[in-house]
This record gives sequence, structure tokens and C-alpha cells, in this order.
Amino acid sequence: MNFSIDGHAFSAEPHPGQCLRTFLRERGDFGVKKGCDQGDCGACTVWVDGAPIHSCLMPAFRAADRKVTTIQGLASGDALHPVQQAFLDAQAFQCGYCSAGMIMTIAALDETQRADLPRHLKGNLCRCTGYAAIHDAIDGVVNVSDDIAGNACGASLPNPFGPGIVTGHARYTMDLDVAGLTHLKVLRAPHAHARIRSIDKAPALAVPGVLAVFTWEDVPRRLYSTATHEDHLVDPDDTYMLDDVVRFVGQRVAAVVGESEAAAEAGCRALTVEYEVLPAVFDPELAMAPQAPVLHHKGGEAHGNVFAEIRGEVGSIAEGFAEADAIHERTYTTSRVQHVHLETHGSIAWKSDDGRIHVRTSSQAPFIAHEKLCHLFGFIPADLHVFTERVGGGFGGKQEMLTEDLCVLALLKLGRPVKWEYTREEQFIGASTRHQMTTRVKLGAKADGTLTAIEIRVVSNTGAYGGHGSETLAASLSSPMSAYRCANKKGEGFVVYTNMVPGGGFRGYGASQSTFAIECAMDDLAKLLGIDPFTLRRRNMVTADDWIEAIWSGVSDVEFGSYGLDQCMDLVEEALATGPRRPVPAGEHWAEGTGIALAMLESGPPTEHRSGAVMELLPDGRYHLAVGSTEMGNGSVTSHRQLAASVLGARAQDIDIINADTDKAPFDTGTFASTGTVVAGQAVMLTATALRQNILSYVARITATKPDDWALEADAVVGGNARISLVELHAKGTAAGHRFLAKRKAYLSPRTVAFNVQGIRLAVHRITGDIEILQSVHAADIGRLINPMQCRGQINGSIAMGLGWALTEHMDYDDTGHLKNAALRNYRIPSFADVPRTQILFADTYDTIGPLGAKAQGECAINPIAPAISNALFDATGVRFASLPFTPDRIFDQLQPRP
Amino acid sequence: MYAFDYQRPAGLDEALAALRAGEDVKVLAGGQTLLPTLKQRLAQPSALVDLAAIPELSRIEHGPYFLTIGAMARHAEVAASPMVAEAIPALAELAGLIGDPAVRNRGTIGGSIANNDPTADYPAACLALGATVVTSTRRIAAEDFFTGLFETALAEDEVILAVEFPVGARAAYRKFRNPASRYAMAGVFVAARDGEVRVAVTGAGQGGVFRWNDAEAALSADFSPAALDGLTLDPSDVMADLHGSAEYRAQLVKVMAKRAVAAIAS
Repeated sequence: MNFSIDGHAFSAEPHPGQCLRTFLRERGDFGVKKGCDQGDCGACTVWVDGAPIHSCLMPAFRAADRKVTTIQGLASGDALHPVQQAFLDAQAFQCGYCSAGMIMTIAALDETQRADLPRHLKGNLCRCTGYAAIHDAIDGVVNVSDDIAGNACGASLPNPFGPGIVTGHARYTMDLDVAGLTHLKVLRAPHAHARIRSIDKAPALAVPGVLAVFTWEDVPRRLYSTATHEDHLVDPDDTYMLDDVVRFVGQRVAAVVGESEAAAEAGCRALTVEYEVLPAVFDPELAMAPQAPVLHHKGGEAHGNVFAEIRGEVGSIAEGFAEADAIHERTYTTSRVQHVHLETHGSIAWKSDDGRIHVRTSSQAPFIAHEKLCHLFGFIPADLHVFTERVGGGFGGKQEMLTEDLCVLALLKLGRPVKWEYTREEQFIGASTRHQMTTRVKLGAKADGTLTAIEIRVVSNTGAYGGHGSETLAASLSSPMSAYRCANKKGEGFVVYTNMVPGGGFRGYGASQSTFAIECAMDDLAKLLGIDPFTLRRRNMVTADDWIEAIWSGVSDVEFGSYGLDQCMDLVEEALATGPRRPVPAGEHWAEGTGIALAMLESGPPTEHRSGAVMELLPDGRYHLAVGSTEMGNGSVTSHRQLAASVLGARAQDIDIINADTDKAPFDTGTFASTGTVVAGQAVMLTATALRQNILSYVARITATKPDDWALEADAVVGGNARISLVELHAKGTAAGHRFLAKRKAYLSPRTVAFNVQGIRLAVHRITGDIEILQSVHAADIGRLINPMQCRGQINGSIAMGLGWALTEHMDYDDTGHLKNAALRNYRIPSFADVPRTQILFADTYDTIGPLGAKAQGECAINPIAPAISNALFDATGVRFASLPFTPDRIFDQLQPRP
Repeated sequence: MYAFDYQRPAGLDEALAALRAGEDVKVLAGGQTLLPTLKQRLAQPSALVDLAAIPELSRIEHGPYFLTIGAMARHAEVAASPMVAEAIPALAELAGLIGDPAVRNRGTIGGSIANNDPTADYPAACLALGATVVTSTRRIAAEDFFTGLFETALAEDEVILAVEFPVGARAAYRKFRNPASRYAMAGVFVAARDGEVRVAVTGAGQGGVFRWNDAEAALSADFSPAALDGLTLDPSDVMADLHGSAEYRAQLVKVMAKRAVAAIAS
């Protein structure tokens, strides 16, 4: 058959049954991405004869004798297509994984279609941006500003990898051709709880192309947790690489390695497994009952199925409720949801000629994965190299080691390179999720609204394994409780094992769940007291003079490096009153309402967190920066360059950067818990400061002056009328044996706090249950904005993710623990049409703890979204929607008149 | 996916011969449902017969009484066709609301009605407009064509050639796309011609697309949204799933029907 791909004509025979996407990628056209392989996400969009299509839904043979254009063939030579340029100008991407498909769809739109973007962008999903920057690109908005030496901080500078992203040349985890590569697939459990009696490998090994089968008998019998934390003791060691007991539908049963993915999949299907089905429990309250089947008997950490209990009380809530004029009490529940980073989990492992093992992985914490692999396999650390290429989104989902271990196991057994890439279905049934939590809130208040007592009880369904269980529970009892000043507070929480897919880290990390409960309860209390929600919050919210206290009287390392919650409240109130909004839709049955919610989040986790950086002046006068943290679309590579450039008086583009590589960068605990700026960024700032001192001291030494007599500029050191170029200085210094190098570490303590306030005005249709967001206003107190464009991007993305959690996303299980919607076709993340433009405002603060005045900003913005929507629905209908998500059918059901 | 045979006949006779030649041979139209089905191994045909190389199957023709749309006409072509827009604008609008642009660039009307997904859009138009399905062996009235969920009157070796729509009705289609499922949870196609009104409903029926007779009677007497106010669709015939109860869907059908009537009336 004759093919024409991006102008290259050739003959080839696709495999029988092969789709165009895999055909293109096998040829090395890695610009074509896999997001779902089902035609739901648009990441693989290419043109056939100029029309965009899902290349995963087209048999490769159908592209014969047609003209196929991928993102890699869109530009004319060096001249970018106007849409590619527009994406650069607006920086219409974060992780960039969706950009190839998004650009191909947008570049094919005519003027009429551009006038109806919600309809014409329906097939392309982005999980990072909230579509605002994509809309900007389509409108020709230029968001980037100039890179001026010495002024990098505070400028909206572009992502250094932008040109690669918009042309399809950026390389993500799986975009690699390895000679002799083998493919790993796993068979997953069909039962929620079962003992494996036997596994017959023979039928699988008989499948042509199958190389090996691994079961629980082939792996190191060593317990660990897939959760990646610096201190491994915060997560229970309750997991084996492969186990003889399965505890949720979707757990790994056996791994099959083949010459192709198809062979490995066929091998999985051929395996014969005999199970002894055990009783299963899915509801954490039932799992806490004495007669419940107990999931783990692996050690002392669990008490029945409760493996963590956290309690605390300050003051006396008994006294607090006794003096209250009004008491509100209600239960609020949040749903189990998936991160849906468009790049699925995956790793590739191989051995180099020197015998070292290399693991290329899609991880937020490659250094911890490195430690865990050493623990599991007994490696000497120096013999193992773990690193990331571009990571296509994380959101907490990649704070896990889910694929690296089996790839290394197979590599050790077979001696050949091994790749394992999750399917989209596996993301839903075999990765981590947000912990489902049920929160009982009891509030007591004086008639004027002054809180006299706050009590919460949180039950967290951690699923079959306990990674992140105790930490998310602690987070749920922490900052959301600290956000209000009250003399009497009490909290108790339980992390409970059930036969569900495990919970994990997820943007907002436990605090999202209890913020939903507490912020809804505050509006319920406001209604009970007849007080305006703004007034009630202002009367009780924590102020800069307050002691920060959740439910424990002990001292913590959290303090106000800055405080802007009052500004955020004022900004949102003003914008809701005066800002732009859409009208209520025409027709009958619409009700309108407004709602607000606030959120407070500590900048960084209470667990140990450190990072490191190395910087060097290069012979050409540029700098090289190596930092341990992962760039997954959060923008840390961009902001780290800006921090360094600011200190060094340079332009951001003068700094080359590499990151997240155990060979090439210093240790970093991982990019999670909003630490990319406040820990890794701090390490970068300290390192750049040390390098500046190194350079200025050297100049002072050779000129017999003082370091303070000199200043660094873009290309030179300058002192009075003297000017020595960095190129000259480097040559001179190196010849004399000087090394222009610096290395620093940063450790997270103390921790500052960030604030976010969301305002929502919406209309709800009482029959269809349709919700139209008429106005969305967000104010953030995140300290100084290192990169205002990126800060807005993180907030827009958080809001979109919060809207998904509030309105559509929900993992729906049958009564045997099988997920009913394990596909993007019926597990819906927001598309362009679902996300309104938000007016984003910033408090004017400068943090005294975070680097150059900045504090955490990647997570906290999601926390007030769902409660603000519930509060707006309450305002519109008088009905409290206390369980996520607010899908149209649930709205309808709850708004029906009760007999 | 998995390995299967592929044939790309250049003419109808050759295609029919290929269909009869083997066990479990399937027609490949646009592939937008078939490909995901194959990937999930919910179907494992031995061979696919691709109809894309038979040019006469993609034709769209506008005669004095009928609009004829070839089975392989893609949704994007129907949506953009000036002929369709002139003959039955509601049909062009419906085609433009199917799936997403990439799906509309591949998916076909023949594939859609042959699959007869209970949430598909085209079956409602066929039923409301009184279309005739023209196959390789016969002509089948839409009433007789859609026989159940994912089931039609088509024989194993029968191929849809075209769909014939009578022109001249005033028509409108309104659907409620569930934000959590993306599918039409209620799509209502209303067509009025010479005092006769047809109301066809997709996305909600337990047995797939159906006509709402009570609504037709009420609208024939008084063609206005208010005419439907007193009616309730019996929830016992309505589908319930994780995205909504039967009671909810029944209400959605009514709201969408009223909106379609309002659109025609304006």
C-alpha cells in the first residue's frame, strides 16, 4: 500500500487490524499522542486529506492513497502554522500532551466554525489549562511578555519547551524508540476480594511472541507502598509487587511480557487463574463493623480495617456548643474521581553496556521511585538511574510507583528493554483516585454569627491499599479547620480499608474534601442565622494576628509568611457585584443563585520535603541549572529559570535547565503538595545566589576589589566603568583553576499559607437539571507572582478540575466492585463547552517565607470550587446539594416536590 | 485491536459477494463505533468489507419529493450540504450535532442507522420524517427498520444503500446532552406536515427510538408547546441507567419536545 505522511511518500503494509495511530507511532511519528485509544480525547487527531480525524478510530489501511498530515508536518519548513504560533503567543498549554491534537483540530476550523467553539472543540480534551489559554490562542491574544535581563521575576515568560510542544517534537515518556524493546501487560483481577489458588502459565507461554509470565511467586516477597513520600513510614507497607490475594477489581494478578503489545495482551487473556472468592466490603462504615472481612493481616499498622485514626481537640466543644445560640449539623460527601492526566502511566527500563539500569518514567517523584526500586530489588543506588522526559500531567496521580517495578523485574529476568504503558481503562481501574470522604460537620454559633464550636468527623475510604491515606486524612483535619478562628474545635477521622481501587494523592489532597463540607456548612449556618455568607465568614475567618490552629494544641511549623484572605474576600464580593456575567437563559424553569467559598492551604506538606539544585556558568556566558523536581505541566521549569535569572541579572532564556533525573540533578523529594515553588524554587534561588556570590567573589579576587563593588548583568559583570564579559571571565577563571559552580539544598520549614476565594453565579433548570455558570470569579493570595500567566493558568486549570468534580465526574461502581464507567466516553471531564471564563484576581502580598515573595499556587484553587457551586445552588433553589457530583439527574431528583 | 482480513471492493456486487463469502464478515462504514467495539473485543469479525471505495454510496440527491442520502455520506457532508439545508434544514442541523468534528468527518448515516444505538440521533429523524431505508435487496420503511436496541431489520448479507427522506415537512430536533455522559438522554425530532405531526424520541426508550403517540395527537390538535403541558410520558417504557432515572428522562423528553415545537413555531 502507498502512504503519504507529512509529505513523505512510501510503501508499507500495516499489520492486520492496526489503527492509524499505532502505525504512525511505529514509524517514529511520536507527535501523534495516545490519550484514550477510543476516540474520546482527541490527542491523536491528524488530518486525512485535510480533515481532522481520530487516528485511533481509523484502520491504517484506510489511509492508503490519502494524504495524512500530523502535527509534525503542519509547519511549512521553519515557518510555523499560524495556529502553532498562536499557541506559543498565548502559551495555550501546560503539560502540552493535548496540544498536537488540539492544534490539528483548530487549524482545520473555518470562520463559521470558530464562531461556535464549544461545539467544534468537543472532541479535544485538555486537563491542564481549563481551556482559557486555548481560547486566547484562537482569539489571537498574546500572553507572553519580553524576557528582559534582571526582570525575569514577575514577567509572563514562555515555557522553554513551547516550540517542541507546538510542533510535536517534544518527547514524552513513551516517545522513544529502543532497539529490542519488549512489551509488558498485566492481567487484572476480576474479583473485589479473592485468593489466587493457582495460575497456569502454560497457555500464555504458548502464545506466539510471549516471552515470559510473572506471578506472585516470581517477585521479591517484600512489602512496600506505591505512594511516594520522602518518609516511607507515613504510608503503610501493605503491598507486594504481585500478591496471592487480590483486594480490588483491577489489581495486578500476573504480568506477561511479549515481543509486541498484542502478544502480551493475548498472553494475559490465555492465562488460566483459579480464584477462591472471598467476602468483600465496599462501604467504609460497614468495613469498620466487627463482622466485616478484614483486608490486611500484614502487621501492626491496621486495627481491623481501620489503619489510621486521627483525633484532636482544642478548647472544649462541649462548652462551645453549650454557649451556642444556633447549631447546624449535617453530613457532606465527596466522590471518588480520577486525575485523568492525558498521558497515562508508563515506564521504559533498559540496561546500558556498563550494566547500569535506566528507568524512564512518567513520575512526580523519580528520586523516591529510585529509593523504592533499590528497596525492592536490593540495588546499590549508584547502579540505578531513574528519570523523566516530558511528563504529560500528574495532578497527584503520578505520586505513585505503579509501573517502574514490573518493568525492572522483567528487565532483570529477560535482559531486554521493557516498556509498560497503561491503557485509559487501566487508569480508571488500576491507578490511584481521590479518596472518597464522608464528613459530618457540626457548627455552633452565637446569634451574631461568632463561632463557638466546630466539630468534624471524617471517614476516608482508602480502598484496598493505604497509600496517602493517613496524610490526606490529616490534611482534611488541618488547614480547612485552621481557616476559621474558634476557641473550641474537635476533629476525628478514620482511614478505612475497603475492596475498592486505592485512593492516592490528588490536587488539594484531603483538604478539598473537608473544605467542601465545611464551606457548605458555613452557608447552611448563615441561612440558619439569617446572616449574609460574606459577613459570617468575615466574622470568623482567621486573620494575620491569629494563632494558626486546627484541632491540635501542639505547635506546628505553619505561619503567615503573608496574609491576603481579607483582600480576596473583598475582591470577590466586588467582582460578583459589578463584574461581567451572562444573562439567565431564556425560557421557563430557570432559577438563579450566587455562592462563595474560601479555602486555606499550607504551602507544602507536614512530611519531610527537600530539594536541591546545581548551577554552573558555561563557557559561552550562559548558565546551566539542574534541579531535581519534575515538570509535568505545572510550569516549574519556566518559573525556576525565572527565579535563577532574577538573582543572576540574566534573561531566563540564558539558562539551560534539566530536571527530575537521579543522575544529573540533586535529590528532590518530589513535585507534589505545592512544593515546586516553595521548596524546589527555594533551592534554585539559594543556588543562584551562591553562584552569583561565587562569580562576584572571583571578580573581586582578580581585581583586588570587593564583591559588593560588582554587579551581574546579562552578559557581564560590571563595576563602575569596568565591564568583564562572562565569556572572558569564564575563560580566565577556568584557566586559573576556578570553578563557577554552586549547589544548594532547600528544606521545607517553616510553611506559609495561601488563600483562595471563589464566587459563582449560576442558573439551574429545575426540570432538566442543567446548570449554566453565569459568572465565575476567583481571588487568590499566592504571594508574589513569579509568572502571572502561569499562575492564572494553574488557577484556570484548578477551576476546570473543580467544575468536573462538582458537576460531572464520578466513578460509578456496581455492587460487586466493578467500575461501570472506566472510559472517557462516560467518565466525563470538562470540555471546552463546560468551562466558563473566570475573572481571576490576585491579592497584593509578598511572602516572607517563600522564594522571592512567592508561595504555593498549584493546588489550592480547586478547593473552593465545588462548595461555591453547592452554595449557589442552595441560594437558587433552597435545597442543599450535599453530595458530589451535582449531575442533572440528581438535581432533578432533589428538586422534585416531596410527598 | 487484533488481526482481521480487510477487503475494499470497488463495486456493490463485489461487496455483497465478499459479505457472503465468509463467516462473521462485517461491513466497515465510518468505523466510529465499530473500531472501539473491535478494540474492546466486543466483536471479533473475521473480515471487514470497506464500503468507502464505492462512490455511488456517498451521493446526496434532492428530487421534487425526496431527499436521498447515500449510506456512506458522512455527517460532516450532510451538515454542510446546501441540498440538505434547503430540503430539510433540521436534518442538516442534526448531523452537525453528532459526536465531534473528527467523528463527523468519518461517521456515516448508513453506519449510524445500521448500528441503531439507542442514543443515536439519525433514527429519530428517520422515524419522524417517515424515511425509507433503501438496501441492496429491498425498501424498508423506518417504522419497520428499527426493531430494538442495536437491532434492525437488516439481514446479515444486506447492505444499506441510501436513506430516502420525504421533503416538505416543518421539522426541528432538540436534544439534551447529559453533561456527565455526553450522550443524548433525550433527543426529540418533531415533524409537521399537512396537519399530521410526528414526534420521534431517541436516547430514552427501553426499546430504542420510538414515536410518542400522545404528543402527536395533542400537537395535531394544537401545534404549540403548551399543548404538551398536560402530558406525561409513561416512565415504565423509559430507560434508566447510571446517568438518570426513567422519571427524569420522561421529563427531559417533554422539555425537548416543547423546545422543538417552539423552534418550528417561531
